[in-house]
Parts: sequence; C-alpha cells; structure tokens
Amino acid sequence: MKFVAIIRQVPDGEAKLREEGGRIDLSGATMILDQMDEYAVEEILQLKEKHGGEAVIVAFGPERTKEAIRTALAMGADRAVFVKHEGDADPITEAKALAKVLAEEAPTVVFTGGQQADWDSYALGPAVAEALGWPSVAWTTAFELEDETQATAQHDLDEGAQRVRVRLPAVLTTQQGLNEPRYPTLPGIMKAKKKEIKEIPAEELGVTGTKVEILSQAIVKIERKQKILDGTKEPEKAAEELVRLLHEEAKVI
Amino acid sequence: MLPLSEEQKLVRDTVRAFAREELWPLAPAYDESGEYPWPQLGKLAELGLLGMATPEAWGGAGMDAVSWALALEELAYADPSVAVIVSVTSGLPQYMLLKFGTDEQKERFLKPLARGEWIGAFALTEPQAGSDPAALKTRARRVEGGWVLSGTKAWITSAGQAQLYVVMARTGEERKAITAFLVLKDDPGLSFGLPEAKMGLHAAHTAELRLEEVFVPDERVLGEVGRGLSHALAGLDSGRIGIAAQAVGIAQAAFDIARDYADEREQFGRKIRDFEGVGFKLAELDTKIAAARHLVWSAARRKDAGGRFTLEAARAKLFATDTAVTATREAIQVLGANGYHKDYRVERYYRDAKVTEIYEGTSEIQKLVIARELYR
Repeated sequence: MKFVAIIRQVPDGEAKLREEGGRIDLSGATMILDQMDEYAVEEILQLKEKHGGEAVIVAFGPERTKEAIRTALAMGADRAVFVKHEGDADPITEAKALAKVLAEEAPTVVFTGGQQADWDSYALGPAVAEALGWPSVAWTTAFELEDETQATAQHDLDEGAQRVRVRLPAVLTTQQGLNEPRYPTLPGIMKAKKKEIKEIPAEELGVTGTKVEILSQAIVKIERKQKILDGTKEPEKAAEELVRLLHEEAKVI
Repeated sequence: MLPLSEEQKLVRDTVRAFAREELWPLAPAYDESGEYPWPQLGKLAELGLLGMATPEAWGGAGMDAVSWALALEELAYADPSVAVIVSVTSGLPQYMLLKFGTDEQKERFLKPLARGEWIGAFALTEPQAGSDPAALKTRARRVEGGWVLSGTKAWITSAGQAQLYVVMARTGEERKAITAFLVLKDDPGLSFGLPEAKMGLHAAHTAELRLEEVFVPDERVLGEVGRGLSHALAGLDSGRIGIAAQAVGIAQAAFDIARDYADEREQFGRKIRDFEGVGFKLAELDTKIAAARHLVWSAARRKDAGGRFTLEAARAKLFATDTAVTATREAIQVLGANGYHKDYRVERYYRDAKVTEIYEGTSEIQKLVIARELYR
C-alpha cells in the first residue's frame, strides 16, 4: 500500500511579517511545514507503521519548500515528489498539477491539511479529489483503514460529528485532533539527507500561470482601545457603562 | 551569520520547536522544585539528543560539532539546567570514551550513554583541587585484576543520578601520574552527597562523590595509565564548546525577553526602546551575542575539521560566558522591577548564567589557556 501526504511550506504563525509595497514580505519570516499538513504526514507515517507499504510526500511550491520536505522526510517519510513552482498559484491550478503526480503514484489514500496557513482557501484537498474523480472527506479527526478499498473516518461538524465509510483511493483533509505529530529525531534528520526528492517543474504538469492573481496583501492591525472607566466616584454608573460597552461594542455579553 | 547547511538548520529548528514546546513551560517549576529532570531527559533521549555527537555505530546520531552546539544553544534557551546535563554527558564521558575507549568499553558504556539510557558524569574536581586539577588527592591503589579508589570528588554535575562516572585518580607519585577510570553508580563503596544548594541551575544536580575502597577492574581503565589528566583536559576542550553554546542560549533568551519588553513598555509617553539608554544597551548586547555565537561555531568547525581546538574552545567559552552574565544582568535592568520578579524569567537566567564563568574551567583559566596557546 502507498500513503501520500501533500504538503506546503508556510510562514510560522508566530513569525513577524512585514508589508512591502502592498505584498507580504516573507524574506525575513521563519518558514515551516504547514501545521495542518503535519497532521497529514503523521497520519501516513502511522498508516505505514500499522499496515506496511510506503509513505510518500508530494509537495508544491518554490525552491525553499525543500526545507519543509526535509522535515517530513526526517519525521520518517520514505521519499518525496516536489512540484517546483516560483510565484503565485491558485489552489485549483495547484490541485490539477498535483493530481497528475497522484495519478501516476496511484496511492491507497491521500492526506493533506484541512486549511492552508498562508491562503486559507480550504480548497486544496477537495480540488485534488475533484481533479482525480476521487471521493473527498474534509476535516477528519479519526481514520481507520479497513482494507485497500475502503476506510472509515470521522468528520467533525460545528455542532457534532459524523462517521463515514469512504471508497479508496480518496483524499482526506486533516483537522486538529487527528493525531499528535512527532518531532523529527536526530537520526531521522541524518537519514533524511539520503532520501530521494524527485523534482518536477510545474510547467511540465501544465501550470502556465495563476488563475487568481493577488493584487495586494495587507496585515490586519489590531488597535487596542484601552478605554478606562473611572469607578471611584460613581461605581454604579461605571458598572452600567461597562456592561453597555461589553454588550454593544465588544459584543461579548 | 556564517552559513549553516540545510541539515544544521533542520537540527536547530527541530530542537528549537521541541525545546520551546516541551522544556520552556516547565523550566520555572524545575528551578523552583530542584527536581532532577528525568522526564525531560527521557523526551530528549527519544529524539536522539543525548548522543548527538557520538557516531551512529556507537548508538548516537553522528552529528557534527556545529549541530551539537546549535542544539545545546536551543536547549539552554528553554532550560539551562537541561542543557548542562546534556553538555556534560555528551561532551565529556561520551567524547572521552569515543576518543580513548576500547571497542569493548564503547560497546558496554558508550552505547547506553549515546542512546540516552544512561547519563554520564565527569569527576575531576576535588575540594582542594579546582583550577589546579593536578593537585588531586583521590588515589588508586594497584591490586590484583584492577585498582582500588579512595577519595572525594566535588561539584560533580549529575552526581547521584548518573549511571557512569569518569573518575580521575592518582596512580603514582609524580604530580601528573593520574589515570581515568570508569566507575559505575552501583559499584560498592561509592556514595553521594546531597545536591548542593546552588544559586542557579537547580535542576542540574551537583554533588560530592565519595569513593571508599571502590574496586575498579582493569577493563574499566579509560585510555592509558598515567595519562588521565591529559585525557581529561582533552575532554574539557570538547566540553567547553558545549558550555559556550549553553551560555549563548541563556544570553539570547534573556535578550529576547528584554527586547520584547522594551517594545511594549511605555514611560514618559513612549516606548522605552526609543530611549537611547535602552536602545543602545540592546544594540550592544545583540552584537556581543552574535560575536559569541560566531566564536562557538568557529570552535565547533575547527573540531569538525579534526585539528586541535584548545585555543578556539577557550576563546569561545571565555567570551560567551561573559556575554551570558552581561546580557542577563542588563536584561533585568531593562525590565526594571519586573526583571527582579520571578514571573519574567530573567532573574533565573542571571542566576543560571553566573556559573558558566566558573565550571569547566573558570574565565581566568581560559585566559591562562589562551595565553599559553599564544606561545605554543
């Protein structure tokens, strides 16, 4: 059996980002393996440990994405296929290119992050499934392989959960709670450098440009209002005002 | 910054993520309780962090010295007590076993240390032999099939917790007739003092080692009889890179807290970082830390290249530990009264930093080593 995790490299959530000419400047930011994709890597490693077979990483992105690929290989994946593309690409374009790689790899099951920390489209997993004509289960918090043709999964909803049976091959997207991703071990890091990363230029898979062009980017600025109510003179009035502000302005009560 | 390889960056990032997630939150509690951090060391062992620099053939991860220094810096950033335990077990006993041990000794003693099943300790210092180790009084008496050791060792990191002790003892009358022995925790006649009440590094136990007629068989002599002091000093060259890396981690952690605080705290209607008194202080510390890190990497690269690195290790330790004490003291000053409070962590880094100028050779001894190297 073959298990695939699709990964991307994104800015660390704690990285300090800067705006430069209407675009986010990533040059100084720490870039990491998307944490939602980390669940995907952990899941395919566990599947391989339990059922045998191969754990393969499929990645999309610019040259620096290799750092994220090495992290996944150091965690224990066997090899990687890297679709290299500099510049923007919308999720549908990415999905079509990735689908060509997956059609050739013919995996048992594919996992990827439920959302992407950089563009937050939620679209990549389902779009890959669509391009391949495979079923898709989003936001999974549990997965059990029954045999090579089917699996059960838990899909979390806002106010409950669903258990589903899905025909394989399929694309599943992750949700927090699916597993606890491992840290790469030092011997794992040493082994990772000897593992194969097969590089394919995105153009060879039909990527000619992006269908959604990013015109500008801005960082949300959170201004603190720092309103201070004087409760020393008329405490009852101040309390009423506090309740009104919490209700009408902050909308928390 | 000098460039790092992709693999060295991955080591640094992995250890950073691990240490900030697993060690950082619990460091204040370990400082408070003074408990030896076995649960933390267990996690480090799983990642292969206790045998980083030992080759894979002997149970380690086979990392270069630069990676080892990067990892120690990240561990120290999160918890300096854990970092010194790791620096000692990997930098001293493992390094000495690798360099001077027989294959049989490596199989029996290096493997469990490198896999992190054991912690190792280094016992050179005595109550009356600190900076002058050749004055040590612990004696080894020749008997049939081995040696019998008697004496007291002081200030031994991990004493009472470690499973293996590299003990230097006198085997002849001349001043330097000293031999290194591998002593095991359960050897009859070996006992330990209570952990010393120290200013900092509370979780890294330091205690006396008492040897009362401890029999050590011939196969547990490490290296050559009579060459123990030279073997120990070679070990210290390696250990000093580890302590220097620990000092850089401590300095960086305190600096980061001060830098962030100065960006938040306002006085006289503006951020305190905008006052030259604070801004210049931070600029000076940042420069010192960067310079210290370069000295550490340069010593580690020299070690990786296979040459002598006595001078580079001494320079790195002298400068990095001075930087750690300065950076932590000044970080407290930037935070003002808050810096004096335990909640802000910088007071602990200050307490932890001070000993880096003392152990594995005081700053004065580093200067002595450097001065000698100049005319070598």
